[in-house]
This record gives sequence, structure tokens and C-alpha cells, in this order.
Amino acid sequence: MTGTRAIYSQLVRELFERLPHAGDLGPGAGTAVHGEAMALDRGAWVRFDARIEDGRVVDCSFRAWGCPHTLAAAALIASRLHGEGIGNEAAFDALRLARELGAPAEKLGRLLVVEDALSGMLARAHALQ
Amino acid sequence: MTTAAPIYLDHAATAPLDPQVAAAICECLRDPGLQGNAASVHAPGRAAAVRVEQARAQVARLVGAEPGSIVFTSGATESVNLAILGAARAAGANLHHLVTARTEHRAALDACRQLEREGFAVSWLATGSDGSADPAQVASALRPGTALVSLMHANNETGVINDIAAVGQLCLERGVTFHVDAAQSAGKLPIDVQAMNVALLSFCAHKLGGPKGIGALYVRHRPRPALQPLQFGGGHERGLRAGSLATHQIVGFGVACELALTRLADDAARVRALRERLWAGLQAAAPVERNGGTEPGLPGILNVRFPGIEGESLLLSLDGRLAASSGSACSSASAEPSYVLRALGLSDLAAQASLRLSLGRATTGEEVDRAAALLVASVNRLRALLPAGAIERIA
Repeated sequence: MTGTRAIYSQLVRELFERLPHAGDLGPGAGTAVHGEAMALDRGAWVRFDARIEDGRVVDCSFRAWGCPHTLAAAALIASRLHGEGIGNEAAFDALRLARELGAPAEKLGRLLVVEDALSGMLARAHALQ
Repeated sequence: MTTAAPIYLDHAATAPLDPQVAAAICECLRDPGLQGNAASVHAPGRAAAVRVEQARAQVARLVGAEPGSIVFTSGATESVNLAILGAARAAGANLHHLVTARTEHRAALDACRQLEREGFAVSWLATGSDGSADPAQVASALRPGTALVSLMHANNETGVINDIAAVGQLCLERGVTFHVDAAQSAGKLPIDVQAMNVALLSFCAHKLGGPKGIGALYVRHRPRPALQPLQFGGGHERGLRAGSLATHQIVGFGVACELALTRLADDAARVRALRERLWAGLQAAAPVERNGGTEPGLPGILNVRFPGIEGESLLLSLDGRLAASSGSACSSASAEPSYVLRALGLSDLAAQASLRLSLGRATTGEEVDRAAALLVASVNRLRALLPAGAIERIA
């Protein structure tokens, strides 16, 4: 149980501490969509839920099992998607997440699970348009 | 602003230095009359040698041995290496077989792997789901060419205790050298090397309130096992361990052994009660499982598993507030699940969801209660994030 400060960036530690948008969607108007991906052998399982109204993400949440980098990545995406217009949302691939979070290369497999869950949700959101 | 020290539940990794031991070490370091080399014949050397021999007697008493059968080393890892490598290499030309268990400490496993590279055959015993090595398995693994059986008294991750006396009797009857790694059990469980028919026994100071950097190997007098030294450069320690003796470390080890022996029964009862109090407190984080069963076990070790919890996230949740050991080899991103827990039949995911909590003499009831509350809060927070059905899938 030593060395965790060296392993995790400040951003990962902050996101892990607060885990913004973790849990379920709150009540509200709009159409709910979700995306889910799981790879237990890689150590990650992520589900995103969002409510879409007038082409915008009015609410977004996540549930996840995984390492701190996985949870931080899911929290980061859910925070950034909030208020975004569908079609204009920022691209969040595993490489970008790894760079932004300062994740080591061996975490890429888990971040790909986060990317897959997000892609699934966005595909459903795009289909609504 | 001061930051509260983490609750220390990692006594199986190392125990805090007992204040009486620290005082004895400091007194030894300060005393100008004790600065001689214990191997020298002049007065300061002889004074140091007297203190070394006093300590040797204290260390020997802890395991029911004669003082002259104790060889001082740098720690349990060196003792285990000296015992396994030394006994195997010194065995006769027709004795090229060893028996050990897959759940041994890395010190023993790696020494046995080295012997495999040198041409020895090793029987690696699988343990039962409780983690103990069955003496009947040992019996069936013995061959005419078996040089050595090496088993740990108590497992460092689960606290599970092996039936050393039964294996000792078996080895005595078959004329096989028996080495016991007692790094975790010395000072925690009663040990009588003669009653247990042990030929070689490894232990160290820092697991029982002594300093790091000093250990011992008990080497039976009669029949004396063949043993080849690993290092050369003098006739110290009956020619088995060359090098000037660290008087202050040895003095500290002696005091730690004496304290451990005096307090053994009381400490065991108190620490066992605290362990059960911790286990009871963790029930608020159900489901929670106990790895390695309950008894017989070391009083201070509780290895627990929280289904649905990812080990790395649990460790970060506890970071700075609780010092414990995970079910992984380390806390790095590429941590391998514990081979001990996997040998017990746990999946990689279950091993990674495990935590070793080890209590000791210095642990208080208040610390145990705080640790339980902290763990329950951390586990429940992480479980609240799980996708539906995750606990069942990630058991």
C-alpha cells in the first residue's frame, strides 16, 4: 500500500475523490440512452447513461467497476458531456484519456472499455437525431 | 496542521519497534565499552561477545533451542536461503530432491527455483482450500533421494498454520532434513524445535518488535544437518555465516525475543480478540469473505475479500488512512494477483478484491473500530458505483 502518489496523477486523485456524476440519472425530461462495455479479464466494466433533449446532453451519469484510472476516466467523460450538443461532443478515445489522466500504458486496455461504453451510448444518441 | 498517522494494520510485514528494544539498542550503541568486535579477544571485544551470547540465549529460548544452535543472519530471507540452499548443496550425491509447498514465501520459492536450475528436483505441494499443507501429502512426496522438506509454520498472507510437529516426526522417521520458515510465527505461537523435530528453523527480529536487519537460523546439534555456508570470509557463527556480528542488532533481537516469550500467551489472546472484533465490524460491508478459514491461524492475521470490489480502487480509497497489504503483489498498475490466494482456489478477480489486515501487540481496540468503519465506508462507496449485477459477476 505504498507509492500510490507516484502512480496516480493529481487529476486522477481529484476525480477519484469526488467521482462527479457517479450513480443514476436524476429525474427530468428528455430521452434516456445508455452504453455499456465490460471486459472482466482486463479489469473494467463501465456503463454511461444520458438524457438527451433538443439535441443536447442534459444529464449524464456513469456506473463502473475498475481501477482508479477507469473510474476517473468515466467521471471525466460524464462531466464533459454534460451540456454538450450531440454531434459536437468532444472525442474521447483511450489514448486521449490516457494522456489527460497521465495513465500508464498498461491501463490502455481498461480505458478502451471506457471508450467502448461511451461509443455505444453516443451511437444511440446519434440515432435519435 | 498535523496529519493523523494511518492506522497500522500491517504487522505481518513488519511490527513497530518495541520501546524496550529501542532502549536496549541505543544503550548498546552509546556504551563505549561495547564498541569492540565480538570476535576480538581484547576487553571491548569480549564485552561485546558477552552481550551477543546473552542475546543468543534469549533468542534460543524463544524456540526451545540451545544457545549454541543459533546462527545470526541478516534476516529471515537470508536464514531461509542458508537453510534451503545450504542443506541441499551439502546433501549427498544421491540426494537431489526437495519438497515444499506452492504457498511458501518467495524467499523459499526462489531458493528452490534456484536449486531446480542447479539440477535438483522439487515437489511443489498444492495446499487445500484452507491453505495448509497436508502431512499425508508430504509423506507421499518423499523419495529415497529427498534431501530436504521446507515448509512455513504459518502463512504470511492468510495466517494458516501447518502441522509442523506431524511433518517433523515424518522427516525424523525417514531421515530427511526438515526446515521450517517461522518468520511469521516466532513470538506469536509457541515453538519447541525439539518437540517438533525440526532440523533448521528460520526467523527474524522485525516481525516481533525487534529491529530490521537481524535474523536467526536454528541448526540442530544432534543429528546435525549437513549445511554449506553461502558466504565466506571468516569462521564466524561456527563457520556458517561469515561477517562481523552487529552487536546492537543482536542485543535488540534478544530483548524482543524475551519480551515476546514473556507476553506470548497474553498477546495472542488479546490480538485474537481484536481480530475477531475487526471481523465483526466488517460485517457491515457484507458480503465479505474470509480467506484461509478461521482456526488454526495466527492470532493477528485477517485476510478478507470484498466481492465486487476492485483492489486498486480500494487501496486508493484507504491511502494515507490505513496501512495494510493488498491481494496483489504490489500496488502498481500491473500488479499480479497473490499466488498464495490463487493457490487457495481464488480467481484473479477474487484475489485482487482481497486485503490482508494484520494486527499486533501495539494495536488498540479504538484503531480496530476506526479501521472497520473506514473499510466499510470505502467498500460501500465503491459498491454504490457498480453496474447492475456486478457483485454477482465479480465474485
